[in-house]
Amino acid sequence: MEEIVGPNEMIVHLGPQHPMQPGPFRLNLRLKGETVVGADVELGYIHKGIEKILENKTYLQGIPIVDRICYLVALTNEECFVGCVEKLAGIEVPERAQYIRVIIEELSRLQSHLLGMGEYGEFIGFVSMFMYTIKEREDILTLIDMVTGARVTHTYLKFGGVRDDLPEGFKETALPVLNNLKKVIDDYEEMFATDSIYRERAEGVGILTADVAKNLGVSGPALRATGVPFDIRKNEPYLVYKDLDFKVCTETAGDCAARVRVRLNEMRESIYILEQCLDRIPDGPIFPVNSPYGRRTPVMRVDPGEVFHRVEDPRGEMGMYMISDGSDKPHRVKVRGPYFPTLQALPPLIIGTTVADVAAISGSMDGCTSEADR
Amino acid sequence: MDARTIIESLSSEFPEAISESEVESEIRVRAYVAAEKAKETCQYLKDSLQFDHLCSVCGVDYPKRGEIEVVYHIASYEHPVVLMLKAKLPRDSPEIESVVPVYWNANWYERETYELYGLMFKNHPDLRPLVLPEEMLGEWPLRKDYEGFPNKTARNLV
Repeated sequence: MEEIVGPNEMIVHLGPQHPMQPGPFRLNLRLKGETVVGADVELGYIHKGIEKILENKTYLQGIPIVDRICYLVALTNEECFVGCVEKLAGIEVPERAQYIRVIIEELSRLQSHLLGMGEYGEFIGFVSMFMYTIKEREDILTLIDMVTGARVTHTYLKFGGVRDDLPEGFKETALPVLNNLKKVIDDYEEMFATDSIYRERAEGVGILTADVAKNLGVSGPALRATGVPFDIRKNEPYLVYKDLDFKVCTETAGDCAARVRVRLNEMRESIYILEQCLDRIPDGPIFPVNSPYGRRTPVMRVDPGEVFHRVEDPRGEMGMYMISDGSDKPHRVKVRGPYFPTLQALPPLIIGTTVADVAAISGSMDGCTSEADR
Repeated sequence: MDARTIIESLSSEFPEAISESEVESEIRVRAYVAAEKAKETCQYLKDSLQFDHLCSVCGVDYPKRGEIEVVYHIASYEHPVVLMLKAKLPRDSPEIESVVPVYWNANWYERETYELYGLMFKNHPDLRPLVLPEEMLGEWPLRKDYEGFPNKTARNLV
């Protein structure tokens, strides 16, 4: 960032450690009075070299590593990685396992949206919001814990299926939690719609239009809040999403409030998907029959080839590009996370706003720096 | 817009530059492009074939062939086809024209590829390291011959 030129200008560094940030990154703001006239993001404070690590691990050892790209969306990261290997090795996932994966990933979407909304509330000074959502998130995490045995990093998906079947009485435990969550979402919506301070902070702030959002490469709720119905679950269905009934939630305003409303509506759709899955889940094996793939994965050598697989993360489009050279380790894995382009779009969005809105805009994107850095 | 039309349109527009094009499935297409034509091809894809969404730019190292490939994953907000556009570059001096004027969000992807592979993007507006510290510049850690741990840890470098 250039030196200060005028008497009214100053440079403020937000971060790398700052309470309003979803993870460590540095935001250099060039201010003229209260107005932001220049911004620049510096990354690298949580760079883990995941892509290099994956090249040096066997396919099976890769699964716990992709969990750590971002702990909030560990299950969708696993789905993407496992989906790549399944496409390369030509493994068919049995229907019951596909349903279990949808159930566990939609639960993961619920908890991610809940935490994202709570953090957003905290960033704009509505700290109680975090307390409300973290309580509901705890119930969802308990459900995930029942199935996978862990709260944040699961290593639950396996090539061709899932590690464990749903536990006894899962449906009976899950339905009351989901019903309660439905009521809570209505409460949140009413609270957001009637709270005048919240509306002052969120409505008309950080407006993205559809053309600009497409040009900036944004995906997920931030894009859908501008009216573009882009959802990988519909555009490029994986697992059993093509048999399930759900709609892509869009808004037209494109501001911070619209992004939050998209997340609220998406949570309702996730609950609807979960109810359908719990009703329709068929009996059967959770691993392909008459194949070497099972709870104990064999030492795998995958035929040479390459694949680009995309899934819908809670934050947008998650893609992985995997190249196999015929050995037991991938030749190259490129992780294309959804928050990387969204974080890149932050400086153009905040230029021209005031300092107080920087936290609101950055928070409404529901970020995870860990995933942008990898 | 289906996969076959896209490949035919692309090959007829750039008959010399596009090679080894292949339709993998309904929604996946791949093609090699001559490095000096990469930017023009991207411009054509964006203007004429609705490829308005750049998924990612990455490098892949092939030390045995002495090549580094740069792979553009180009998708669309309108149709589900993803095009893998690749360009082969010599490993000792990889250089390619930047696509930032076409796709705005290529900026960080190209910075990342530059610091991890040493792949120069010509006419990039701001080519400096993104996630690595300055001391690591010139190490090119994602190349296959990078020594890594324990010889090249951060402590030994600084």
